Amino acid sequence: MKCVILAAGEGKRMHPLTYTRPKVMLPIAGKPILEWNLLNARAAGLKEFIFIVSYKSEMVREYFGDGKPWNVTIKYVNQGKPQGTAHAIGTVEPFVNEFIVLSGDTIFGINDIKHTARKGTKIGLVQIDNPTEYGIVELKGKQVLRIHEKMDDPTSNIINAGIYHFNKHIFEYIRNTEASPRGEFEITDSINMLVTQEHMEGVFLKEWRDVVYPWHLLDANEEVLKKMKTIIQGTVEKNVTITGTIQVGKGTVIRSGSYIEGPVVIGNDSKIGPNCYLRPYITVGSHCHVGNACEVKNSIIMDHSNVPHLNYVGDSIIGQHCNLGAGTTVANLKLDKKNIAVILNGKKIDSKRRKLGMVMGDHVQTGINSAINVGTMIGNHVFIGPGAVVKGEITPKTMML
Amino acid sequence: MCGIIGYVGFREARTVLLESLKRLDYRGYDSAGVAIIDKHLKTYKEVGEIANVEKKIPLLKGTTGIGHTRWATHGAVTKENAHPHLSCDKKIAIVHNGIIENYTALKEELKKKGHRFLSQTDSEVIVHLIDDVYKGNLEDALIAAIKKIKGSYAIVAVSQDEPGKIIGARNESPLVIGVGDSENFIASDITAFLKYTNRVMFLNDGELCVITTDSIQVLDRNKNHIKKKEELITWDVTDAEKSGFPHFMLKEIYDQPETVHHVLRGRISEMEEKITFPDPVEKLLKAELNSIHIVACGTSFYAGFVGKYLIEQLTNIPVFVEPASEYRYFGSRNETSLIIAITQSGETADTLAALREARLSGSKTLVITNIIGSTATRIADGYILQQSGPEIGVAATKTFTSQIMVLFLLALKIAIYQKKLGSNELYNYLLHLKYLPRHVRDVLERSDEIIAVASHLKDATSVFFIGRGINYPLSLEGALKLKEISYIHAEGFAAGELKHGPFALLTKDTPVVAIVTQDETYEKILANIGEIKARGSPVIAIAEDKDTEIENHADYVLRFPTSPHLLPCIPITVVLQLLAYHVADLRKCPIDKPRNLAKSVTVE
Repeated sequence: MKCVILAAGEGKRMHPLTYTRPKVMLPIAGKPILEWNLLNARAAGLKEFIFIVSYKSEMVREYFGDGKPWNVTIKYVNQGKPQGTAHAIGTVEPFVNEFIVLSGDTIFGINDIKHTARKGTKIGLVQIDNPTEYGIVELKGKQVLRIHEKMDDPTSNIINAGIYHFNKHIFEYIRNTEASPRGEFEITDSINMLVTQEHMEGVFLKEWRDVVYPWHLLDANEEVLKKMKTIIQGTVEKNVTITGTIQVGKGTVIRSGSYIEGPVVIGNDSKIGPNCYLRPYITVGSHCHVGNACEVKNSIIMDHSNVPHLNYVGDSIIGQHCNLGAGTTVANLKLDKKNIAVILNGKKIDSKRRKLGMVMGDHVQTGINSAINVGTMIGNHVFIGPGAVVKGEITPKTMML
Repeated sequence: MCGIIGYVGFREARTVLLESLKRLDYRGYDSAGVAIIDKHLKTYKEVGEIANVEKKIPLLKGTTGIGHTRWATHGAVTKENAHPHLSCDKKIAIVHNGIIENYTALKEELKKKGHRFLSQTDSEVIVHLIDDVYKGNLEDALIAAIKKIKGSYAIVAVSQDEPGKIIGARNESPLVIGVGDSENFIASDITAFLKYTNRVMFLNDGELCVITTDSIQVLDRNKNHIKKKEELITWDVTDAEKSGFPHFMLKEIYDQPETVHHVLRGRISEMEEKITFPDPVEKLLKAELNSIHIVACGTSFYAGFVGKYLIEQLTNIPVFVEPASEYRYFGSRNETSLIIAITQSGETADTLAALREARLSGSKTLVITNIIGSTATRIADGYILQQSGPEIGVAATKTFTSQIMVLFLLALKIAIYQKKLGSNELYNYLLHLKYLPRHVRDVLERSDEIIAVASHLKDATSVFFIGRGINYPLSLEGALKLKEISYIHAEGFAAGELKHGPFALLTKDTPVVAIVTQDETYEKILANIGEIKARGSPVIAIAEDKDTEIENHADYVLRFPTSPHLLPCIPITVVLQLLAYHVADLRKCPIDKPRNLAKSVTVE
């Protein structure tokens, strides 16, 4: 049984983070989403993987290589220009018989993968509260009758979770699939043809974490961190207070006077403190610095980035190779305490969060005493000058003075 | 210039090859073809755009194949002349980009051995050379073939007896390998396969490669393995057509080391001190010539103006340069004059009308153009192809330098017929013509200095260009480039004429670009610069590397490599092009599509 993971997408709704990496390489608790799926699928007994890649595929290949460090084999297939899920799955035809397909941007549980891998054509299902953004699955008992495209007025709350078990027959249906109105070939259309001829079983999943917008990474991060155990491989100096669970990587030093409320995960070779305040649900990457008089909560700070002096960062994501100037602070709560609206790709979206700071792409620098308003989306390679106040969406490679 | 692609992998080769050819069609689009191994070797080719071939290919399952999109240089645009070319038993197919110089001799030899030729192309000899020694190993046969070939080539070959394998070889024409997963690519250009992989290996001249689904071997001509590093291409797919350049114009400026070289290919041999043109052209040049009229429009007109200096200096025959739109009504014509029309597209309406007028009056006509089969080539008594490949930017760049190169060769050839040129002198010119691509590359490498100077020009409302001798038409072209893409008012003047009127316009806000070469007018132009400086205008000098005096006279100096008399016109042009480009870029102008202008003006 081979495990095919769809990892080709750019994930435009994940801008600004996906300007510089494919969606599946977004980190949750220090590991790319794709690695979580790989680990879970391996734990479910799958050893042979095919990654369907395209957008910035070199990053996936460089991180995972042939899969040896994970004791699995990984083969890559380049989808070329992405033309929908059916087109993507169609490209692996020469390499598979029976196989599982996972959407690379959703994290699936070990038992659910195991269950889907059992004999017979299957599709994973979940029940969610607001299914308007998903394909609705019509069932008769366990048998799938039809998948409906996104519905404004959904007939049920059972949705297609993005995990499938197929055999060779699917390729015949893929070949006959016609392009959707937006010009893509969707696997749901192929499945709708399949279910008129063959039996397909719906499998209800127990765990399912879908990440669509950048702030969903904070939810996923929180969920994973809650299950962590304490492991300290680095150095913790005297007079450091730690409550809750914490993971400290090799070479990392936590200096005197730091006050840490777990769960917090810190990578390798980072410097924490002295005298900083880390609150729950933080992932700090490797080669990072969180310095004196800084407070961080519920945030992701990626590798090689610094929150060095006199900073507040809450409910935020900081990309790689960023540096905050002394005194740069991030607002994460509106004064009227209402939901925070975000402008992403020029469109206004309700983040459905009351607390949300900024999402900062890679290679951003801020000047001293700059202030960043709630829900600010900052592109990669942006330069924010001293004393600047920024909000809304900032396109990559711009200067804000 | 042609585009070639080879694919071996798991996808249907048909789809991959057609997609890639569409990406390569900027390299040529007069005919196209593919060969796919689908149990047997199956070949499809058609004249015209790639869609014409697409219609003819059935849905083959084969996963190995090669393709070609053609820009004719030898042989007319016909189905027979389209690539791929096949061996006599139709088991081996090749595609080729480049020019085989010794193909006539090779063809005769192969014909004697019983090989049947179906086309008029130089390329077809390659497949017969391979076929001649093929014993089941394609790379051995290709090595034997390229040892006999003289010229430039990128070759990709497949054999029905070795499915799942493609062979490539390169010499002076581009060829790059795309490294995929369970599939590999080879093409003239990265854009062809960028959709599928951004990992590439660049082949060097003299190298060969053997590619299968999951292996790539690079060899030299003695079958020694060469270790190659994989490189990563980081352009966006949208940038890819421009090979990573922000504008077609800049890409085309950077094409010039290749195009300046290409125009010489198959035409000069410095060893034999020979310049060769097609027979009809030779006949025109051999005849008694009392005068030459060059007719053209726009940039081609300025190329013609440069040609006037080249021809007069080397041959002493009087040359008259006239805008085609004027010549057709008012130009003088007689039976002992040669009319040279220059038109990149071969379709410029005014130039065609002038050509027809000239023919009617019994003059002999010769056309310099980029497009084989164009109307101009059919009207004239003879034509010379400038072989620059398609130009997409509206502002002509590489086609201008190629036109000058053709005129240079013409001037030399006429001088040979007129016995005006000593053997040493000719040898010297031919040798230095071959250095020109390197000089162009030198200028391109110094573009930072040009950007720095461009920042001083970007806010000017008026810029003057001056030069003496052959640098005069160059200053006209420099001004034309600047005005058409940056919308800054610009004028070119013969340096000596400045005093007779235009001087009134000089202020401290009117930069003057002076082209300075160390010829007999060097002192004069330094004096002109002095006069301009005295009026407070900033002076930008374009000067030779070895000129150490110029710093004392000009405010800014841009350099080009020193070479013998007349030859610097090419590197100077590149400096002017880059200057215009960077000024327009700093002013954020729509460089590839300036307002009110069209690439080819087919109305009068």
